[in-house]
Amino acid sequence: MNKLLKLSNVSLNYTIDNNSINILKNISFEVDYKETISIVGESGSGKTSLIMLIGGLEKNSAGNIFFKDSEISNMTEDEISEIRRKNIGIVFQSFYLIPNYTALENVSLSLEINKLDNATKKAKEILDRFGLSNRFNNLPSQLSGGEQQRVAIARSVVMKPELILADEPTGNLDSENTENISSLLFNYIKDENASLIMVTHDNNLANLTKRKIIIKDGVISENQ
Amino acid sequence: MKINDLSLYSKYAFRDLLRSYSKILSIIITLLISLFILSAILTIEDSLENELNENSKVLLGGDLEIDYNNREGDKNLIKQVENISTVSQIVEFSTMISTIEKKQNKTSFTRIKAIDQNYPLYGDVIFEPVGSLKKLNEIDNTILVNENIFKNLNLKINDIVKVQNIKFKVIGVVKVLPDIGGAFVFGDFALTGKKTLDKLELNTLGSFLNYEYKIKFDDYKNKDKKINEIKKIFKNNDKVKIRYPENSAGGIKRIIDNFSQFLSLVSISAMLIAGIGIANTLLSFINQKNSSIAVQKAIGINSGNIKTIYYLQLLISLIFISLVAYGLSFFLVPVVDKYISDGLGLNIQASFSLTNLFIVFMVGLLVIIIFSIPTVNSIDQIKASSLFRNVFQSLQFKYSKLSISLSLLLLTILISLFAFRSSIPTYSLIYFASFFVCLAVFFYVSRFIILLLRNNLFNLGISSKIAIKNITQSKSITPITVMSLGLGMTLLLTLAFVGSNFKREIAKSIPEIAPDYFFLGIQNNQKNLFKKIIIDTDKEAVTEIVPMVSAGLVKINGIDPNTYISNSNDSYWVIMNDRRVSWVNTIPKDNPILEGSWWDTSKPNKLQISLDSKVAKDFGVNIGDKFTLRIYGREIEGEVVNFRLVNYQDLSINFAMLLNPQFAENIPHEYLSTIKFKNIKSFNEVNFLDKFPSVSIIKISDYLSKVTDVLNKVFIAVSIISAVTVIIGLVVISSAIIVQRKIKIFQNLVFKILGFSKKEIIMSSIIEFIISFLSIIFFSTIFAVLASKFIIENIFQLKWLFEINIFFYVTIGVGVATLALIIITNFRYLSPKVYPLVRNE
Ligand SMILES: Nc1ncnc2c1ncn2[C@@H]1O[C@H](COP(=O)(O)OP(=O)(O)OP(=O)(O)O)[C@@H](O)[C@H]1O
Ligand SMILES: [Mg+2]
Repeated sequence: MNKLLKLSNVSLNYTIDNNSINILKNISFEVDYKETISIVGESGSGKTSLIMLIGGLEKNSAGNIFFKDSEISNMTEDEISEIRRKNIGIVFQSFYLIPNYTALENVSLSLEINKLDNATKKAKEILDRFGLSNRFNNLPSQLSGGEQQRVAIARSVVMKPELILADEPTGNLDSENTENISSLLFNYIKDENASLIMVTHDNNLANLTKRKIIIKDGVISENQ
Repeated sequence: MKINDLSLYSKYAFRDLLRSYSKILSIIITLLISLFILSAILTIEDSLENELNENSKVLLGGDLEIDYNNREGDKNLIKQVENISTVSQIVEFSTMISTIEKKQNKTSFTRIKAIDQNYPLYGDVIFEPVGSLKKLNEIDNTILVNENIFKNLNLKINDIVKVQNIKFKVIGVVKVLPDIGGAFVFGDFALTGKKTLDKLELNTLGSFLNYEYKIKFDDYKNKDKKINEIKKIFKNNDKVKIRYPENSAGGIKRIIDNFSQFLSLVSISAMLIAGIGIANTLLSFINQKNSSIAVQKAIGINSGNIKTIYYLQLLISLIFISLVAYGLSFFLVPVVDKYISDGLGLNIQASFSLTNLFIVFMVGLLVIIIFSIPTVNSIDQIKASSLFRNVFQSLQFKYSKLSISLSLLLLTILISLFAFRSSIPTYSLIYFASFFVCLAVFFYVSRFIILLLRNNLFNLGISSKIAIKNITQSKSITPITVMSLGLGMTLLLTLAFVGSNFKREIAKSIPEIAPDYFFLGIQNNQKNLFKKIIIDTDKEAVTEIVPMVSAGLVKINGIDPNTYISNSNDSYWVIMNDRRVSWVNTIPKDNPILEGSWWDTSKPNKLQISLDSKVAKDFGVNIGDKFTLRIYGREIEGEVVNFRLVNYQDLSINFAMLLNPQFAENIPHEYLSTIKFKNIKSFNEVNFLDKFPSVSIIKISDYLSKVTDVLNKVFIAVSIISAVTVIIGLVVISSAIIVQRKIKIFQNLVFKILGFSKKEIIMSSIIEFIISFLSIIFFSTIFAVLASKFIIENIFQLKWLFEINIFFYVTIGVGVATLALIIITNFRYLSPKVYPLVRNE
């Protein structure tokens, strides 16, 4: 069977004041369908940068990234947008809901952009499933942090993406909410047969994934 | 993009707009004001022209006019016309009207219209009391005077007045005449019966009787047939012109055109200043939406589609704003109606015009697109990856070669739209060129101020230091303040300088050069008596008395000039109807010869003509060309022998055409005189009229006060409209301050923590304002001086002076308004609360 994602010899350089800094070096690994992976490592090691490369939000300086056999590293901005729109959901540490949209509108946005029928109905279903049935019309400022992150996850999975990227999804939450969110996320992934790549500092959370990739100074130091 | 995509994005645009319109309120306000001004101009212009067109028959006074060049027509031919239609014969002339039975008798120069019982054929005369109009032709020696004469001469109904030695009974007051002839627009007038006029035997030499024959078809359906019959009647009479309703009121139309053209230029300036604010506010709006846009990108909406949503928001606002602005303009029509109906007797009504609404919308659209391209393009700079880093770079205007060329192209379209609608595109183009030069200069001025202050040349108090920091910081509002206020100030100052110089020159000409009185219609045998009486009254009176005859210029080199010189020609008045011509032996002092030579006395039997050089230029006449003049019905051919420089503004006696005396002395003529008294009180108009009942007296100061009255009205209207550019500038500035809100609050909070007093912080705002404002005044004054000097000296050919009072009124007025605005806007940020900042809201 084909791989969902394949990175080979991927590097990322940033240029500051004409100095090129090597952030990621020769990263190679593969991700299967329905696989869950956590990426761990010290602060500044390059975890977020790696997630951004996979999500097509940053361009790699060398190497190749294949998403379902198509190479995204040399696609145009708009082509990557198209792939992200349909296949990749992203969850951020700071939630990032659109402040003047209600919970429901934040979730249905993706569905509408992809011109799916019954966008509102589907958005309601997923919010319902995440225990937010009485929060549809609240603006983000009227939701608690845990609720905001649940809405954000709902937004990222509502298109039923094959890959979910999450960067410290529980980083801004207390332990009770962390547990809540993680069980919700992992249950969903199991039910819907999605894959997950998640950056986390939280060992308990990392242990829930099938595989763990440890990054140190921009290289993979362990891939278990 | 597909249609259903568009409807989806429109939905988002609508939603976003509804939820955050308050953030772009300043865009909405400035656009609304400037589009409202434009709508108002278009609507009023349209209403006026509609009124003129719809009432063209009323204005002409009939379905047709038989124009005998204002002379009495052939009675037999008129009879024939009367057989197939209704004819109204009107005779107009100017004369004096005076009271005779009062303690203090007074006189007034008046235009009298002698009407028959058919008058008016169209429209209504408004008069009091009921029935008095009809009585004019039933009872001899009755007269209706206008309200102004009634008031000035202290008249009561049934009082007796005197016109040319004949007594009239005032039987009523007339308020409005339907046919506004040129002379009736600003002057006094009276109505009397045609029969009375015949008795007056005014048909004496040179009384300047204007005969008018208005015709109404009894059966309008057969109009074309009737017109042909009438044409046939006058077939062999080339002196007769038939005038149609379409070309009535051509002069007024031209004035309206020029005036509205000028106002459109002012309104487009307002719009461009608003544009600067639009770009700025929009940038801050998009900056606030930074993270939302990043999320949209993360979800997979591409940059182009996000930009579409923002353009759609602008489009939706614009549709709404155009409709409101256009709708509001209808409320202004009654106000203007009130303002002009006194003078013109027109009643305007607003009428909806899809074209105008479309023009308003298109102009708004062009301005929005031009100024939002670099702003909306900055959306490209937003990266979804910011969401991982929690840092959002503040956006900058994004210029690409493509967007700059697109903006320039649209700007060119916008300018062309205005320039080529105008009758004189060159003026509009010069105006736009100056506008952009000013804009560029003010931009560099703001750069220069920042550069200068950045170098820390001064060692100053703490408030000044804060002020300088504010001006030189990267998000400083200085460039916007300087550009928007600078342009508005320049325009306002220029117009104020032009207006004040113009008014001063007109007012000044009364005591200095202009005579006190004009005397018209002095007969040959009265000339010596006239001179004697003036000398007896005031020995030191300066008298100028010249012969005069009225002549029509009917052919130039054998061709009727009306066939090739249009009524938009500056010198059209020379051929419009008969002109007064005169003759002198020596070259008039203030009329130097520019080309040709003075009279050739070796040819006394040949008519020689000296022509105003401006008229010569406008008509393309050369020395040696042949003019055919019609004097008392006789056509005489003469040769143009020289061109004189004539300055009509000094109000002394000036003629477009002078004739050689050797030839002209033999023509029966009368005299025209101007007098400047040493002691004006010694002259009694009523006593004078007892001796010279047929002479008309025009008191220059009365005449000038009427002219200045009209000028004042125009000046006020123009000032109000140009003040709008300053108001828009102020809105732009206050929105720029509001955009700075976060920085300001943060800064003030830091100051508070550091222990500065509010006084010091306010002081710093004032210093900041003074630095910008002084440079604005400096440069806008230079521009205004140059522009107004050019207009006054080259277009109006008057003397220009720096009007220091006006300068102070305008600068202090605008300065106080701006300062108040800055302090009020800043005041809200003066007492920052600490906790919202800590909570990172
Ligand atoms: N735009 C940039 N320009 C230059 N260097 C950058 C840029 N963005 C990130 N870096 C550097 O790249 C390195 C990796 O950053 P990254 O955010 O991927 O780390 P991380 O592993 O996610 O750290 P943390 O656990 O603190 O979130 C860091 O040393 C950071 O300083
Ligand atoms: Mg990170």
